[in-house]
Amino acid sequence: MSPLPPNATATLKSVALKSGALVCGVADAAVFAARAPEKQRPDDLLPGARSVVVVGGAQPREGDWAATSPWVLQTMGTTERIQGVGRRLAQYIESELGYYALYVPPGTASGDTPFLSLMLAAELAGLGSKSLAGPVLNREHGFMYWSAVITTAPFESDRLEAEPACPAPPCREMWEREGTTPCLKTCPSSEGGCLSGKLENGRAVRTFYDAARCNTRVHTHWVGGFQKVLEETLNEPDRDRRKMLLYGDFFTRSLWAITYSSTNIAQCFECMRVCPAAHGLKEMK
Amino acid sequence: MTREEQVKEVGRRAGARVVGIAAVEAFRAKVPEGYRPEDILPGARSVVVAGGDGPTAGAWRSPDHRVMEITGYDLRENVAVHAMCDFIETTLSYRAIQAPSLPVHGHEPPMSMMHAAELAGLGTRSLAAHIILNPEYGLLYYAALITTLPLEPDPPLAEPACPHPGCAAMYKRIGTTPCLRVCPACLAGKVNDGRIQESTYDREKCHSRAQTYGIGSFQKGLLQIVNEDDPARRRTMIYGDFFTKSLQSLGFFRDSIAQCFECMRVCPVGRKYRKLQ
Repeated sequence: MSPLPPNATATLKSVALKSGALVCGVADAAVFAARAPEKQRPDDLLPGARSVVVVGGAQPREGDWAATSPWVLQTMGTTERIQGVGRRLAQYIESELGYYALYVPPGTASGDTPFLSLMLAAELAGLGSKSLAGPVLNREHGFMYWSAVITTAPFESDRLEAEPACPAPPCREMWEREGTTPCLKTCPSSEGGCLSGKLENGRAVRTFYDAARCNTRVHTHWVGGFQKVLEETLNEPDRDRRKMLLYGDFFTRSLWAITYSSTNIAQCFECMRVCPAAHGLKEMK
Repeated sequence: MTREEQVKEVGRRAGARVVGIAAVEAFRAKVPEGYRPEDILPGARSVVVAGGDGPTAGAWRSPDHRVMEITGYDLRENVAVHAMCDFIETTLSYRAIQAPSLPVHGHEPPMSMMHAAELAGLGTRSLAAHIILNPEYGLLYYAALITTLPLEPDPPLAEPACPHPGCAAMYKRIGTTPCLRVCPACLAGKVNDGRIQESTYDREKCHSRAQTYGIGSFQKGLLQIVNEDDPARRRTMIYGDFFTKSLQSLGFFRDSIAQCFECMRVCPVGRKYRKLQ
């Protein structure tokens, strides 16, 4: 096996950034064994896997967060751009370096189970850490979308992030003051929301995230929305009501979401909207 | 740099692995009137074809069959075609359109990308589902543009990419080739003197296997759901993995366009690019 050329890791990261990623990190494929369940480890997808290359970016822009219309973030998705970067890196590794590379499918293998957790990959590649709200946050850029490539190339791996972005200083202060944080307050599990948690000495010592409940809100108009209306329509004996269901806004928007506007994969961003570590890190005019 | 080289360079920079050019006259021999490039764009002079990569070698190697079922394509050939169209219209001031390639009646597209790729010298038909094989890279995905720009065409390949010498030798020895052996359900053929003498491809059968999740499976699932009287069973069908994956393949994971690759998996053409470290 011929070794990687000198600076291969730095060159790869440079290609990633030029292709549109905001950040790029590398995780040692072996470290997944301790944190990922069987069948969801790099070696399960690509025998002989040595590294996992993770890119992040394509998050909503500051303008999106500032928009007063809820429909902006509900209907304008941006995630697909980062998947294109992942695909490009996989091809780059194979054609330029001669090592196997597998672009991790962004979808689910079955049910809600991913092929490989992109959030875990981002953490292990030193690009961020889990927040109280669930998403992995990068210290410099906040909330972002992830794509990953598993490869047999032995790239130099990055260290885990030393200081987590969450809880941010204003959230720690709020906890001291009110016993909650912006994300926990906006979506509390005790009041039908998705989140709860506890801070001690400025660190999260307990977190809870109701993924199933969150899924029904975040993906309001997606595949699940289509299935829900289809079932209701078939169960509806009245022809006029069936027509209303099929031509109504809910079903129409679900169809837009899964077809033409297929990047539209989230409709609730409330925990991220209030998070001081997720966006607004750069002052805008 | 000639005009032809300029156009091809734009396509390659936008992600095409190969680019070839065919003259519109070349389509007349085999394409019926009404379906020729000049029937789609009046005054058409040339067809430029871009071939893009399929799954990476790593994806071919994955022991988890679901990886190839839901991903693996870059579809950059479409991006390359649009980049070349933009270049032809804005820089050279000739009309250019992406050639329509999606089926409009049954499985029939307005224009065959496979035929265009052959005429542009990018590959030849194979025993394996008549897939166009590029002699260097093997399986590629093709998109084309039609333009009023006159370009010097590339000649069709003098030597067919299929059968590969190894397959011709195998046929001589045991009367079959890797692809014919791996899928006798869909494929049949004869090789004589190292050339395809006869080739049969059961498209209907192949379609139901190669596109397990997609528009067809959505229609199939929906029909079964609509015909099911028991609400509880209907619910199971609606929320089950099969229907959910069919929906995902139509939408977010829309690059999921094939789930069976067995004839290509065993094909030696372009295999050197799948043998990595």
